[in-house]
Amino acid sequence: MVTTLEIPAAARRPRAPAALGQALVSVLVVGLVAGPFIPLVYSSFRSKPVYLPGGVFSLGGYRTLFADPAYWTAVRNTLLFAVGTTVLAVAGGTLLAILCTRTNMPGRRAYGLLLMAPVVIPPLGLIVGWTAIYGQGGYLTQLLSRNLHLPVWNLASIPGMTAFGTVVTLPVAYLTVRASLSGTDASLEDAARSAGAGLLAVVRRITIPMLRPAILNCGILIFALCLEILGIPLFLGGPSNIDFYASYLYRSWNQGGTPDPPFVSAGAVLLLVVVSLLLVVRARLSGAEQRFVAVGPRGGGARRPLDLGRWRRPASACVGAFLTVTCLIPLLGLVLMSFVRVLTTLVAPWHLVTSDNWHAVATDPALRRSITHSLLIAAGGGAVSVALVAVAALIAHRSRFPLRRLIAPALIYPRAVPGVILGIGFFWTYLMFTPGALVRNNLWGEAIALCVRNLTLAYVVIQPSLTRIGEELDRAARAAGAGWWHIARRVLLPLLRPALLAAFVLMFITLLGDYDPVVFLQKPGTEILGVTMLQYWSTGVQGPVAALAVLQVVLVAVVLGLGARALRRVTVADA
Amino acid sequence: MPEIRVLNLRKSFGTTTVLDGIGFTVHDKEFVTLLGPSGCGKTTTLMSIAGFQTPDEGVIAVGDEVFVDRRAGIDLPAERRNLGIVFQSYALWPHMTVAQNVAFPLSLRKVDKRAARERVAEVLDLVELGAHGGRYPHQLSGGQQQRVALARAIAYSPKVLLLDEPFSNLDAKLRERARDWLKHLQLSLGLTTVFVTHDRDEALAMSDRVLVMNNGRVLRDGTAEEVYHEPRARFVAQFLGRCNFLTGRVESGPDGTSLLRTPAFPEGIVVAGAHPGPEATAAVRPHAVELLGPDADGVEASVLEAAFLGDHYRYLVRIGEYRIEAHAPHRIASGPARLRIPPGAAVFVD
Repeated sequence: MVTTLEIPAAARRPRAPAALGQALVSVLVVGLVAGPFIPLVYSSFRSKPVYLPGGVFSLGGYRTLFADPAYWTAVRNTLLFAVGTTVLAVAGGTLLAILCTRTNMPGRRAYGLLLMAPVVIPPLGLIVGWTAIYGQGGYLTQLLSRNLHLPVWNLASIPGMTAFGTVVTLPVAYLTVRASLSGTDASLEDAARSAGAGLLAVVRRITIPMLRPAILNCGILIFALCLEILGIPLFLGGPSNIDFYASYLYRSWNQGGTPDPPFVSAGAVLLLVVVSLLLVVRARLSGAEQRFVAVGPRGGGARRPLDLGRWRRPASACVGAFLTVTCLIPLLGLVLMSFVRVLTTLVAPWHLVTSDNWHAVATDPALRRSITHSLLIAAGGGAVSVALVAVAALIAHRSRFPLRRLIAPALIYPRAVPGVILGIGFFWTYLMFTPGALVRNNLWGEAIALCVRNLTLAYVVIQPSLTRIGEELDRAARAAGAGWWHIARRVLLPLLRPALLAAFVLMFITLLGDYDPVVFLQKPGTEILGVTMLQYWSTGVQGPVAALAVLQVVLVAVVLGLGARALRRVTVADA
Repeated sequence: MPEIRVLNLRKSFGTTTVLDGIGFTVHDKEFVTLLGPSGCGKTTTLMSIAGFQTPDEGVIAVGDEVFVDRRAGIDLPAERRNLGIVFQSYALWPHMTVAQNVAFPLSLRKVDKRAARERVAEVLDLVELGAHGGRYPHQLSGGQQQRVALARAIAYSPKVLLLDEPFSNLDAKLRERARDWLKHLQLSLGLTTVFVTHDRDEALAMSDRVLVMNNGRVLRDGTAEEVYHEPRARFVAQFLGRCNFLTGRVESGPDGTSLLRTPAFPEGIVVAGAHPGPEATAAVRPHAVELLGPDADGVEASVLEAAFLGDHYRYLVRIGEYRIEAHAPHRIASGPARLRIPPGAAVFVD
């Protein structure tokens, strides 16, 4: 005999609360992202900065810009740099991805992880480290030129900066190509080998042609990144007065007769248009990728990788040397620089040891403030951003909210447009639209700009995990009587926990090192690490900047370690 | 002429043994199937022949050429083994047209361009895709893709063809057609073939010989009929179709047969062949069981459930506290019935 349990029918939930909440989150996300661009475009078409009275509609900003020879020099430099960097980074990243995922090169696993180092090392840390070692007064440069009288490189030249740009952007190519490689069926290569193709034939005729979409895709992305790069020309190009697009805007903004002139906005708008067009092209191209999708690969077990034969060890040694030269030595140089008065080959470093740099970091109020502020933004801003992006992603992919299709592009866009442009946009937005000094000239404004800029990162971590959660789970919950928020809170968000944690770690690391969108917003009293380092560096203060960079690296390492441990715990608990 | 010889293959991943002393020979022009559940080691065996897995121990040779001999340190790279292989996923190169896919092995062998073009057309005609040479793989249906993969595998006339579950991505109807068609092609080209599958119908229908594998071992090696009718191992009997197992005491019967007395059949069942032990298990296929009306001869039984399956009925029958499955072409009402196991219907298994 079966007893029937009397359960009341699920209450008919009114639709309004879910829709209202979804609308609020959507408007917030779309507004935060789209908002800054309106005043930016507006201000580029005014005859005077918007805060001055009497401005009229004018193309003067654009005319001034085009008449400035320095602008055209910057454009030319940027293009040279971008083309060189893109070619080198894509070639190098592809080669390394193939070596690390498809061959039997010794140490490929460890290298696979280490190659990501430039992503997690704070960008300024790496720049300062490179300057300390390979810059004009750098340790190795001096050693070779003064002590051994050999011809040396010039890091403060376009080839020099291209070399560094390649190191910074190479992980983008490496990651894209690696993802594409692991997404394709390894039996495609096995089939070629069965047909009689040797190592080189397989790579040349099968592996690389199939990577074409991935290569094109990351090529465009890297090119777009190069157009907006600010740190490299400011830190490395400074000694030779080589300006790139972003650094031209930055200097013009700070040094013009009138502060914040319209032609800077005009330059920003032009760059925005170019980068946006590149991204449209990229989206179009990836739409044509369909024919590169191989027929449903099924797990084939561990296959034997491509055999490098007698090139195994030389290849491994080359990759090791590359990592040593590009990351390890600069990091060591950075640490050394933070502990000496001046890094020189003329005097042995132990005669110059000093704790002054660290003392300055611990006592200088501006430096201390920038550390606390950056940590606050990284922790608080990271948490809030991840929460916002998680809900927004659920609305975009798991709801019937009418405007849901706007959300995914809105989450992708901020990272796609140059950070300096977003910064200028936020500057005008705060100036024109916010009542009083609500977010102007204080940390809130900077935190918002940094977080909006990096929303994309949280989204790209969360979205793939979300698509892996079957929609039947939502439907089962709905059939059981759960409303949308209920499903989100009780089913989807708990399942997303590992992704949310990973997104937070990534946000924390990035917010700690990012500075592009804030260079136009920072005022005394609202310092953050990146901008402070930039400003101190430009006045010739190097030791404390190195110390701050080391601090950043250590913080990132600690957070990565804690994050990895927590992630393991979360995953184990879920299993 | 090529004959594939596999000797004592062993391989383990960490503590799990995948291949536990596999050995067999595939004669010239023979079609041999490795049949077993997933994880039994059949694909690993095939991939070892192809050169994508290296066994820890053992010898693989085709004709006079030794592919793998771990003792002698021989391990020929996959690209020098000159085999044709069709992968489960077909592994068609998505950036090449059908014709380019098929021509690839030829171009690696420096076949003259015109000759290659002719050969590609010939092979594509053979798989009935002559008109599709200019298409890309994603523009073809699953069945067509499978045939392109086959065309590519036989393009340069290899003597040995390896097939890794080539039909598993096809729907049931297409699968049957592809099966007949592949068998026909194999016969007419005289290819020595090793075929891997977990589908017993495919294995029985196509093979000259079937090797049933489990846990990295070959449990039974024989023609389809031999393997089906005399499975010898309980696992083999079960894997090749539904089966009843009866355990009891063995007595010797007339003419070299044995008599198996079980609780359900106290009178005994006549089983072919002698059995040494006092206790034994025999396997009986449901269709060999005779299920009759209540007035006929046989053990008293009762029909519990019946299911109509088109060409026969499937019955669940109770004898005392034992349950037996029986298949019969005719309808029998639920309730009392008689059941008989004719002499020779049961065979001993381990």
